[in-house]
Amino acid sequence: MDWVQKMSDAMRNLNYRGDFVYVHENQLESMQISHYRDAHGEKERLVSLNGEAREVIRDNQNLTCIWPSSRKVIVDLSRKNSFSPIFIPEDIARLEKYYEMKLLGKDRVANMNAVVVHIDPKDKYRYGMKFWINEDNGLMMQSSLINENGTVVEKVMFTSLELFEGEDKPVIDTMPKIDENFTLVRFHSGDSSQSFAADNSWQLGQTPGGFWRESVMKRKIPGSDDFVHQMVYTDGLASLSVFIERQSGIASQGGSSMGAVNAFIRIVKNYSVTAIGEVPAVTVKEVAESVSYQQQ
Amino acid sequence: MTDLDDKLSFLLDDHPGENADANLDEVIADVNLQYRARRYHMIGEVMRHELPEAIDTSFHSNVMAQIHDENLQQAAAQPVTETPARNASILSWTPLKPFAGLAVAASVAIVTVALWQPLKQGTGQNDDGLVSADQQKIEQLAKQQIQGGVVTASTNVQPLGMRWKVERESPGLQQKLNAYLVTHTEYSNSMQSLIPQARVAGFDSQQ
Repeated sequence: MDWVQKMSDAMRNLNYRGDFVYVHENQLESMQISHYRDAHGEKERLVSLNGEAREVIRDNQNLTCIWPSSRKVIVDLSRKNSFSPIFIPEDIARLEKYYEMKLLGKDRVANMNAVVVHIDPKDKYRYGMKFWINEDNGLMMQSSLINENGTVVEKVMFTSLELFEGEDKPVIDTMPKIDENFTLVRFHSGDSSQSFAADNSWQLGQTPGGFWRESVMKRKIPGSDDFVHQMVYTDGLASLSVFIERQSGIASQGGSSMGAVNAFIRIVKNYSVTAIGEVPAVTVKEVAESVSYQQQ
Repeated sequence: MTDLDDKLSFLLDDHPGENADANLDEVIADVNLQYRARRYHMIGEVMRHELPEAIDTSFHSNVMAQIHDENLQQAAAQPVTETPARNASILSWTPLKPFAGLAVAASVAIVTVALWQPLKQGTGQNDDGLVSADQQKIEQLAKQQIQGGVVTASTNVQPLGMRWKVERESPGLQQKLNAYLVTHTEYSNSMQSLIPQARVAGFDSQQ
Protein backbone atom coordinates (compact mmCIF):
# COMPACT_ATOMS: atom_id res chain seq x y z
CA MET A 1 0.00 0.00 0.00
CA ASP A 2 2.78 2.36 -0.88
CA TRP A 3 0.36 4.60 -2.79
CA VAL A 4 -1.90 5.13 0.22
CA GLN A 5 1.14 5.94 2.31
CA LYS A 6 2.34 8.37 -0.36
CA MET A 7 -1.07 10.04 -0.48
CA SER A 8 -1.17 10.43 3.29
CA ASP A 9 2.26 12.08 3.30
CA ALA A 10 1.46 14.35 0.33
CA MET A 11 -1.81 15.67 1.78
CA ARG A 12 0.00 16.64 4.98
CA ASN A 13 3.26 17.98 3.68
CA LEU A 14 2.65 19.63 0.29
CA ASN A 15 1.45 23.16 -0.36
CA TYR A 16 -1.53 23.23 -2.68
CA ARG A 17 -4.80 24.88 -3.60
CA GLY A 18 -7.59 23.20 -5.47
CA ASP A 19 -11.27 23.33 -6.32
CA PHE A 20 -13.25 20.21 -5.73
CA VAL A 21 -16.81 19.01 -5.77
CA TYR A 22 -18.36 17.00 -2.98
CA VAL A 23 -21.29 14.93 -4.22
CA HIS A 24 -23.64 13.23 -1.78
CA GLU A 25 -27.30 12.22 -1.83
CA ASN A 26 -27.94 14.00 -5.11
CA GLN A 27 -26.50 17.22 -3.74
CA LEU A 28 -23.40 18.91 -4.98
CA GLU A 29 -21.16 21.22 -2.97
CA SER A 30 -18.40 23.08 -4.75
CA MET A 31 -15.47 23.96 -2.50
CA GLN A 32 -11.92 25.21 -2.54
CA ILE A 33 -9.15 24.02 -0.26
CA SER A 34 -5.83 25.74 0.38
CA HIS A 35 -3.19 24.00 2.43
CA TYR A 36 0.38 24.65 3.40
CA ARG A 37 2.94 23.47 5.87
CA ASP A 38 5.78 25.65 7.08
CA ALA A 39 8.02 25.92 10.12
CA HIS A 40 4.99 26.83 12.26
CA GLY A 41 2.99 23.81 11.25
CA GLU A 42 0.04 23.18 8.97
CA LYS A 43 -2.66 25.62 8.00
CA GLU A 44 -5.64 25.13 5.77
CA ARG A 45 -8.74 26.90 4.63
CA LEU A 46 -11.88 25.39 3.17
CA VAL A 47 -14.32 27.71 1.39
CA SER A 48 -17.71 26.84 -0.05
CA LEU A 49 -18.11 28.09 -3.58
CA ASN A 50 -21.87 27.76 -3.86
CA GLY A 51 -24.83 28.14 -1.55
CA GLU A 52 -24.42 30.10 1.65
CA ALA A 53 -20.87 31.36 2.05
CA ARG A 54 -19.02 29.24 4.59
CA GLU A 55 -15.39 29.01 5.59
CA VAL A 56 -13.45 26.66 7.79
CA ILE A 57 -9.96 27.77 8.76
CA ARG A 58 -7.71 25.51 10.73
CA ASP A 59 -4.30 26.08 12.19
CA ASN A 60 -2.40 24.48 15.02
CA GLN A 61 -4.47 26.29 17.64
CA ASN A 62 -7.94 26.97 16.31
CA LEU A 63 -10.66 25.57 14.14
CA THR A 64 -12.71 28.57 13.01
CA CYS A 65 -15.99 28.25 11.12
CA ILE A 66 -17.35 31.45 9.60
CA TRP A 67 -20.70 32.15 7.93
CA PRO A 68 -20.15 35.65 6.50
CA SER A 69 -23.68 36.18 5.24
CA SER A 70 -25.42 35.35 8.48
CA ARG A 71 -22.47 36.77 10.42
CA LYS A 72 -21.80 33.87 12.70
CA VAL A 73 -18.56 32.44 13.99
CA ILE A 74 -17.66 29.27 15.81
CA VAL A 75 -14.19 28.92 17.24
CA ASP A 76 -13.05 25.63 18.66
CA LEU A 77 -9.68 24.31 19.57
CA SER A 78 -7.92 22.46 16.81
CA ARG A 79 -7.59 19.03 18.29
CA LYS A 80 -5.88 17.07 15.61
CA ASN A 81 -2.19 16.61 15.60
CA SER A 82 -2.39 16.43 11.86
CA PHE A 83 -4.97 17.66 9.38
CA SER A 84 -4.80 14.63 7.17
CA PRO A 85 -4.80 11.14 8.56
CA ILE A 86 -1.49 9.59 9.35
CA PHE A 87 -1.22 6.19 7.79
CA ILE A 88 1.69 4.21 9.10
CA PRO A 89 2.97 1.03 7.46
CA GLU A 90 2.43 -0.96 10.66
CA ASP A 91 -1.31 -0.43 10.19
CA ILE A 92 -1.34 -2.40 6.97
CA ALA A 93 -1.18 -5.86 8.51
CA ARG A 94 -3.97 -5.00 10.91
CA LEU A 95 -6.10 -3.48 8.15
CA GLU A 96 -5.72 -6.53 5.96
CA LYS A 97 -7.83 -8.46 8.46
CA TYR A 98 -10.81 -6.29 7.53
CA TYR A 99 -10.04 -4.92 4.07
CA GLU A 100 -8.69 -6.10 0.77
CA MET A 101 -6.32 -3.63 -0.89
CA LYS A 102 -6.34 -3.56 -4.68
CA LEU A 103 -4.48 -1.52 -7.25
CA LEU A 104 -7.04 -1.10 -10.01
CA GLY A 105 -4.94 0.67 -12.61
CA LYS A 106 -4.60 4.17 -14.00
CA ASP A 107 -7.04 6.94 -14.86
CA ARG A 108 -7.13 10.68 -15.51
CA VAL A 109 -8.66 13.27 -13.16
CA ALA A 110 -8.58 17.05 -13.78
CA ASN A 111 -6.33 16.31 -16.72
CA MET A 112 -3.73 14.65 -14.50
CA ASN A 113 -2.59 11.05 -14.37
CA ALA A 114 -3.75 9.08 -11.38
CA VAL A 115 -3.50 5.58 -10.04
CA VAL A 116 -6.66 4.02 -8.64
CA VAL A 117 -6.58 2.18 -5.33
CA HIS A 118 -9.56 0.24 -4.01
CA ILE A 119 -9.89 -0.58 -0.31
CA ASP A 120 -12.60 -3.21 -0.19
CA PRO A 121 -14.17 -4.25 3.14
CA LYS A 122 -14.51 -7.92 3.99
CA ASP A 123 -17.70 -7.54 6.06
CA LYS A 124 -20.81 -5.38 6.48
CA TYR A 125 -19.47 -3.18 9.28
CA ARG A 126 -17.46 -0.72 7.22
CA TYR A 127 -17.49 1.14 3.93
CA GLY A 128 -15.18 0.64 1.01
CA MET A 129 -13.06 3.40 -0.48
CA LYS A 130 -11.51 4.20 -3.80
CA PHE A 131 -8.74 6.73 -4.16
CA TRP A 132 -7.45 8.32 -7.35
CA ILE A 133 -3.91 9.35 -6.43
CA ASN A 134 -1.84 11.78 -8.49
CA GLU A 135 0.89 9.73 -10.07
CA ASP A 136 3.45 12.54 -9.88
CA ASN A 137 2.98 14.08 -6.44
CA GLY A 138 0.76 11.67 -4.50
CA LEU A 139 -2.08 14.11 -3.86
CA MET A 140 -5.56 12.68 -3.68
CA MET A 141 -7.44 13.71 -6.82
CA GLN A 142 -10.68 11.85 -6.26
CA SER A 143 -12.17 9.60 -3.63
CA SER A 144 -15.34 7.57 -3.37
CA LEU A 145 -17.01 6.11 -0.35
CA ILE A 146 -18.82 2.87 -1.21
CA ASN A 147 -21.57 1.40 0.95
CA GLU A 148 -22.31 -2.21 1.80
CA ASN A 149 -24.34 -2.58 -1.40
CA GLY A 150 -21.48 -1.45 -3.58
CA THR A 151 -23.07 1.94 -4.26
CA VAL A 152 -20.98 5.11 -4.18
CA VAL A 153 -22.57 7.27 -1.47
CA GLU A 154 -20.15 10.17 -1.29
CA LYS A 155 -17.55 11.41 -3.67
CA VAL A 156 -14.90 14.11 -3.69
CA MET A 157 -13.39 15.08 -7.01
CA PHE A 158 -10.86 17.81 -7.75
CA THR A 159 -11.66 19.87 -10.81
CA SER A 160 -8.44 21.87 -10.59
CA LEU A 161 -5.33 21.58 -8.49
CA GLU A 162 -2.35 23.92 -8.15
CA LEU A 163 0.81 22.73 -6.47
CA PHE A 164 3.18 25.26 -4.86
CA GLU A 165 6.84 24.34 -5.01
CA GLY A 166 9.55 25.15 -2.48
CA GLU A 167 8.77 28.09 -0.22
CA ASP A 168 5.74 29.17 -2.22
CA LYS A 169 2.40 28.63 -0.57
CA PRO A 170 -1.22 29.51 -1.20
CA VAL A 171 -2.66 32.62 0.43
CA ILE A 172 -4.79 31.59 3.38
CA ASP A 173 -4.63 34.63 5.62
CA THR A 174 -7.31 36.51 3.73
CA MET A 175 -10.22 35.57 5.90
CA PRO A 176 -13.27 37.81 6.21
CA LYS A 177 -12.90 40.58 8.74
CA ILE A 178 -14.69 39.77 11.98
CA ASP A 179 -16.50 42.74 13.47
CA GLU A 180 -18.78 43.36 16.40
CA ASN A 181 -21.87 42.57 14.36
CA PHE A 182 -20.97 38.91 14.34
CA THR A 183 -22.59 36.46 16.68
CA LEU A 184 -20.16 34.12 18.34
CA VAL A 185 -22.10 30.90 18.51
CA ARG A 186 -19.43 28.96 20.35
CA PHE A 187 -15.92 29.64 21.58
CA HIS A 188 -13.52 26.96 22.70
CA SER A 189 -16.26 24.74 24.02
CA GLY A 190 -14.92 21.67 25.75
CA ASP A 191 -11.58 23.35 26.29
CA SER A 192 -8.95 20.65 26.41
CA SER A 193 -7.31 22.46 29.32
CA GLN A 194 -10.29 21.27 31.34
CA SER A 195 -9.74 17.57 31.58
CA PHE A 196 -11.81 15.29 33.71
CA ALA A 197 -11.31 11.70 34.67
CA ALA A 198 -13.11 9.45 32.23
CA ASP A 199 -16.07 7.60 33.63
CA ASN A 200 -15.44 3.90 33.20
CA SER A 201 -18.95 3.04 34.28
CA TRP A 202 -19.98 3.18 30.64
CA GLN A 203 -18.89 0.10 28.76
CA LEU A 204 -19.46 -1.55 25.42
CA GLY A 205 -20.40 -5.19 25.69
CA GLN A 206 -19.06 -6.27 22.33
CA THR A 207 -17.75 -4.03 19.56
CA PRO A 208 -18.67 -5.29 16.12
CA GLY A 209 -16.20 -6.07 13.41
CA GLY A 210 -12.93 -5.59 15.24
CA PHE A 211 -13.34 -1.92 16.13
CA TRP A 212 -11.24 -1.08 19.14
CA ARG A 213 -11.42 1.82 21.57
CA GLU A 214 -8.91 4.46 20.59
CA SER A 215 -9.67 7.08 23.21
CA VAL A 216 -12.15 8.10 25.87
CA MET A 217 -12.87 11.64 27.00
CA LYS A 218 -15.14 13.48 29.37
CA ARG A 219 -15.84 17.15 28.88
CA LYS A 220 -18.00 19.74 30.53
CA ILE A 221 -20.92 20.97 28.49
CA PRO A 222 -20.63 24.75 28.11
CA GLY A 223 -23.18 26.63 30.18
CA SER A 224 -24.11 23.55 32.15
CA ASP A 225 -22.93 21.47 35.09
CA ASP A 226 -23.30 18.31 33.06
CA PHE A 227 -20.69 16.34 31.20
CA VAL A 228 -20.53 14.56 27.90
CA HIS A 229 -18.55 11.35 27.55
CA GLN A 230 -17.00 10.47 24.21
CA MET A 231 -15.47 7.16 23.27
CA VAL A 232 -13.77 6.89 19.87
CA TYR A 233 -13.60 3.51 18.14
CA THR A 234 -11.66 2.68 15.00
CA ASP A 235 -10.64 -0.23 12.85
CA GLY A 236 -7.61 1.73 11.66
CA LEU A 237 -9.45 3.17 8.68
CA ALA A 238 -13.04 3.92 9.63
CA SER A 239 -14.07 5.38 12.95
CA LEU A 240 -17.10 6.12 15.07
CA SER A 241 -17.75 7.89 18.35
CA VAL A 242 -20.12 7.14 21.18
CA PHE A 243 -21.43 10.22 22.99
CA ILE A 244 -23.17 9.88 26.33
CA GLU A 245 -24.85 12.75 28.10
CA ARG A 246 -27.74 13.28 30.45
CA GLN A 247 -30.99 13.28 28.54
CA SER A 248 -32.67 16.65 28.26
CA GLY A 249 -35.87 17.54 26.51
CA ILE A 250 -37.78 15.12 24.36
CA ALA A 251 -36.16 11.75 23.90
CA SER A 252 -35.15 11.00 20.32
CA GLN A 253 -34.36 7.38 19.78
CA GLY A 254 -33.55 5.52 16.59
CA GLY A 255 -31.42 5.91 13.52
CA SER A 256 -30.39 8.99 11.55
CA SER A 257 -28.24 9.50 8.50
CA MET A 258 -26.61 12.24 6.50
CA GLY A 259 -24.87 11.01 3.40
CA ALA A 260 -22.59 8.20 4.47
CA VAL A 261 -22.66 9.20 8.13
CA ASN A 262 -24.98 7.22 10.33
CA ALA A 263 -26.07 7.77 13.90
CA PHE A 264 -28.15 5.77 16.33
CA ILE A 265 -29.59 7.13 19.59
CA ARG A 266 -30.96 5.19 22.50
CA ILE A 267 -31.79 6.12 26.07
CA VAL A 268 -30.07 4.27 28.91
CA LYS A 269 -30.90 5.21 32.50
CA ASN A 270 -31.92 8.76 31.59
CA TYR A 271 -28.80 9.20 29.51
CA SER A 272 -28.77 9.74 25.78
CA VAL A 273 -26.35 7.34 24.10
CA THR A 274 -25.44 8.26 20.52
CA ALA A 275 -23.18 6.24 18.24
CA ILE A 276 -22.13 8.23 15.18
CA GLY A 277 -19.61 7.78 12.42
CA GLU A 278 -18.89 7.21 8.75
CA VAL A 279 -19.85 3.57 8.97
CA PRO A 280 -22.96 1.60 7.90
CA ALA A 281 -26.18 1.93 9.89
CA VAL A 282 -25.84 -1.59 11.26
CA THR A 283 -22.52 -0.70 12.89
CA VAL A 284 -23.74 2.33 14.85
CA LYS A 285 -26.91 0.46 15.83
CA GLU A 286 -25.02 -2.54 17.19
CA VAL A 287 -22.53 -0.31 18.98
CA ALA A 288 -25.24 1.85 20.58
CA GLU A 289 -27.17 -1.22 21.66
CA SER A 290 -24.12 -2.75 23.29
CA VAL A 291 -23.57 0.25 25.61
CA SER A 292 -24.39 -0.41 29.24
CA TYR A 293 -23.88 1.29 32.57
CA GLN A 294 -22.11 -0.66 35.27
CA GLN A 295 -21.97 0.91 38.69
CA GLN A 296 -18.34 1.05 39.80
CA MET B 1 -36.02 12.27 -10.50
CA THR B 2 -35.17 15.60 -12.00
CA ASP B 3 -32.63 16.02 -14.72
CA LEU B 4 -30.20 17.43 -12.17
CA ASP B 5 -30.76 14.45 -9.89
CA ASP B 6 -29.95 12.20 -12.82
CA LYS B 7 -26.75 14.08 -13.51
CA LEU B 8 -25.68 14.02 -9.87
CA SER B 9 -26.39 10.32 -9.67
CA PHE B 10 -24.32 9.91 -12.77
CA LEU B 11 -21.48 11.75 -11.06
CA LEU B 12 -21.66 9.39 -8.13
CA ASP B 13 -21.23 6.55 -10.57
CA ASP B 14 -17.65 5.42 -10.64
CA HIS B 15 -17.76 4.89 -14.38
CA PRO B 16 -18.02 8.41 -15.76
CA GLY B 17 -16.64 7.54 -19.17
CA GLU B 18 -15.01 9.79 -21.72
CA ASN B 19 -17.32 12.76 -21.16
CA ALA B 20 -16.72 12.97 -17.41
CA ASP B 21 -15.28 16.49 -17.49
CA ALA B 22 -18.04 17.79 -19.74
CA ASN B 23 -20.70 16.21 -17.52
CA LEU B 24 -19.12 17.68 -14.41
CA ASP B 25 -18.95 21.15 -15.96
CA GLU B 26 -22.58 20.85 -16.98
CA VAL B 27 -23.71 19.87 -13.48
CA ILE B 28 -21.73 22.61 -11.77
CA ALA B 29 -23.19 25.16 -14.18
CA ASP B 30 -26.65 23.76 -13.53
CA VAL B 31 -26.26 23.95 -9.73
CA ASN B 32 -24.89 27.47 -9.92
CA LEU B 33 -27.80 28.42 -12.16
CA GLN B 34 -30.24 27.12 -9.56
CA TYR B 35 -28.59 29.10 -6.80
CA ARG B 36 -28.66 32.21 -8.96
CA ALA B 37 -32.30 31.69 -9.84
CA ARG B 38 -33.16 31.19 -6.17
CA ARG B 39 -31.31 34.38 -5.26
CA TYR B 40 -33.06 36.45 -7.92
CA HIS B 41 -36.38 34.93 -6.93
CA MET B 42 -35.81 35.89 -3.30
CA ILE B 43 -34.72 39.42 -4.18
CA GLY B 44 -37.85 39.71 -6.30
CA GLU B 45 -39.99 38.59 -3.36
CA VAL B 46 -38.32 41.11 -1.11
CA MET B 47 -38.90 43.88 -3.63
CA ARG B 48 -42.56 42.91 -3.97
CA HIS B 49 -43.02 42.49 -0.20
CA GLU B 50 -43.95 38.86 -0.82
CA LEU B 51 -41.75 37.16 1.72
CA PRO B 52 -43.21 33.89 3.00
CA GLU B 53 -44.76 34.10 6.45
CA ALA B 54 -42.28 31.62 7.82
CA ILE B 55 -39.47 34.12 7.43
CA ASP B 56 -38.85 36.64 10.16
CA THR B 57 -39.68 39.87 8.37
CA SER B 58 -37.87 42.09 10.82
CA PHE B 59 -34.87 42.04 8.59
CA HIS B 60 -36.56 42.57 5.27
CA SER B 61 -36.31 46.33 5.65
CA ASN B 62 -32.59 45.83 6.05
CA VAL B 63 -32.50 43.93 2.81
CA MET B 64 -34.46 46.72 1.13
CA ALA B 65 -32.09 49.30 2.56
CA GLN B 66 -29.17 47.23 1.48
CA ILE B 67 -30.47 46.92 -2.05
CA HIS B 68 -31.11 50.66 -2.11
CA ASP B 69 -27.79 51.68 -0.60
CA GLU B 70 -25.59 49.33 -2.46
CA ASN B 71 -25.40 49.06 -6.16
CA LEU B 72 -25.80 45.31 -6.08
CA GLN B 73 -25.52 44.84 -9.77
CA GLN B 74 -22.22 46.63 -9.88
CA ALA B 75 -20.91 45.00 -6.75
CA ALA B 76 -21.98 41.55 -7.82
CA ALA B 77 -19.91 41.95 -10.93
CA GLN B 78 -16.78 42.31 -8.84
CA PRO B 79 -14.98 39.03 -8.39
CA VAL B 80 -13.86 37.76 -5.04
CA THR B 81 -10.15 38.30 -5.08
CA GLU B 82 -7.44 37.29 -2.73
CA THR B 83 -4.74 39.74 -1.84
CA PRO B 84 -1.58 38.49 -0.23
CA ALA B 85 -1.40 39.34 3.45
CA ARG B 86 2.25 40.03 2.85
CA ASN B 87 1.13 43.25 1.11
CA ALA B 88 -0.92 44.23 4.14
CA SER B 89 -4.18 43.98 2.24
CA ILE B 90 -7.03 41.87 3.41
CA LEU B 91 -10.49 40.87 2.40
CA SER B 92 -13.30 42.60 4.07
CA TRP B 93 -16.80 43.43 2.99
CA THR B 94 -19.16 46.33 3.04
CA PRO B 95 -20.98 45.95 6.36
CA LEU B 96 -24.46 44.54 6.02
CA LYS B 97 -27.08 44.98 8.66
CA PRO B 98 -27.32 41.70 10.56
CA PHE B 99 -29.94 39.36 9.21
CA ALA B 100 -32.06 37.24 11.49
CA GLY B 101 -33.36 34.90 8.82
CA LEU B 102 -31.32 32.25 7.20
CA ALA B 103 -33.41 31.87 4.08
CA VAL B 104 -32.61 35.31 2.81
CA ALA B 105 -29.10 35.15 4.17
CA ALA B 106 -28.47 31.97 2.27
CA SER B 107 -30.12 33.26 -0.85
CA VAL B 108 -28.15 36.46 -0.93
CA ALA B 109 -24.94 34.79 0.12
CA ILE B 110 -23.51 35.03 -3.34
CA VAL B 111 -24.22 38.73 -3.39
CA THR B 112 -22.63 39.07 0.02
CA VAL B 113 -19.52 37.30 -1.10
CA ALA B 114 -19.39 39.48 -4.14
CA LEU B 115 -19.44 42.52 -1.89
CA TRP B 116 -16.11 41.58 -0.39
CA GLN B 117 -13.64 44.17 -1.41
CA PRO B 118 -9.96 44.35 -0.75
CA LEU B 119 -9.21 47.16 1.69
CA LYS B 120 -5.93 48.60 2.80
CA GLN B 121 -5.01 47.85 6.36
CA GLY B 122 -2.04 49.79 7.53
CA THR B 123 -1.19 47.71 10.52
CA GLY B 124 1.78 46.02 8.99
CA GLN B 125 0.68 42.60 9.98
CA ASN B 126 2.71 39.58 9.19
CA ASP B 127 1.38 36.42 7.59
CA ASP B 128 -0.36 35.39 10.74
CA GLY B 129 -1.26 38.89 11.85
CA LEU B 130 -4.63 39.01 10.22
CA VAL B 131 -5.83 35.91 11.90
CA SER B 132 -4.39 37.06 15.20
CA ALA B 133 -6.12 40.41 14.88
CA ASP B 134 -9.41 38.78 14.16
CA GLN B 135 -8.78 36.31 16.92
CA GLN B 136 -8.64 39.25 19.34
CA LYS B 137 -11.97 40.45 18.03
CA ILE B 138 -13.39 36.99 18.44
CA GLU B 139 -12.14 36.79 22.00
CA GLN B 140 -13.68 40.20 22.73
CA LEU B 141 -16.91 38.93 21.26
CA ALA B 142 -16.66 35.85 23.44
CA LYS B 143 -16.37 37.92 26.59
CA GLN B 144 -19.14 40.32 25.64
CA GLN B 145 -21.59 37.75 24.37
CA ILE B 146 -21.06 34.96 26.83
CA GLN B 147 -21.10 37.37 29.77
CA GLY B 148 -24.17 38.99 28.31
CA GLY B 149 -25.83 35.64 27.89
CA VAL B 150 -26.05 35.88 24.13
CA VAL B 151 -24.91 32.60 22.76
CA THR B 152 -26.93 31.91 19.68
CA ALA B 153 -29.01 33.84 17.23
CA SER B 154 -32.60 32.78 16.95
CA THR B 155 -34.56 32.23 13.82
CA ASN B 156 -37.86 30.75 12.88
CA VAL B 157 -37.06 29.62 9.38
CA GLN B 158 -36.20 26.20 8.15
CA PRO B 159 -32.50 25.87 7.46
CA LEU B 160 -31.22 25.08 4.04
CA GLY B 161 -28.25 22.92 3.23
CA MET B 162 -27.22 19.58 4.65
CA ARG B 163 -29.66 18.01 7.03
CA TRP B 164 -29.96 14.71 8.82
CA LYS B 165 -32.60 12.21 7.83
CA VAL B 166 -34.05 11.16 11.15
CA GLU B 167 -36.61 8.55 12.11
CA ARG B 168 -38.24 10.91 14.60
CA GLU B 169 -37.53 14.65 14.51
CA SER B 170 -37.33 16.49 17.80
CA PRO B 171 -36.25 20.01 18.77
CA GLY B 172 -32.51 20.47 18.68
CA LEU B 173 -31.81 17.04 17.22
CA GLN B 174 -30.20 18.35 14.03
CA GLN B 175 -27.89 20.66 15.97
CA LYS B 176 -27.03 17.93 18.44
CA LEU B 177 -26.08 15.47 15.70
CA ASN B 178 -24.05 18.12 13.90
CA ALA B 179 -22.19 19.01 17.07
CA TYR B 180 -21.41 15.36 17.62
CA LEU B 181 -20.25 14.95 14.04
CA VAL B 182 -17.94 17.97 14.25
CA THR B 183 -16.44 16.67 17.48
CA HIS B 184 -16.12 13.17 16.08
CA THR B 185 -14.40 14.52 12.97
CA GLU B 186 -11.96 16.42 15.15
CA TYR B 187 -11.07 13.53 17.41
CA SER B 188 -11.08 10.65 15.00
CA ASN B 189 -8.42 9.87 12.46
CA SER B 190 -10.55 8.97 9.48
CA MET B 191 -8.81 7.92 6.31
CA GLN B 192 -11.54 9.41 4.19
CA SER B 193 -9.35 12.37 3.41
CA LEU B 194 -11.34 15.49 2.52
CA ILE B 195 -14.80 14.00 2.88
CA PRO B 196 -15.21 14.57 6.65
CA GLN B 197 -14.09 18.18 6.30
CA ALA B 198 -16.37 18.72 3.34
CA ARG B 199 -19.27 17.48 5.44
CA VAL B 200 -18.55 19.98 8.19
CA ALA B 201 -18.08 22.81 5.72
CA GLY B 202 -21.40 21.86 4.20
CA PHE B 203 -23.34 22.76 7.34
CA ASP B 204 -25.41 25.87 7.12
CA SER B 205 -25.28 28.56 9.75
CA GLN B 206 -28.35 27.31 11.59
CA GLN B 207 -26.75 23.98 12.32
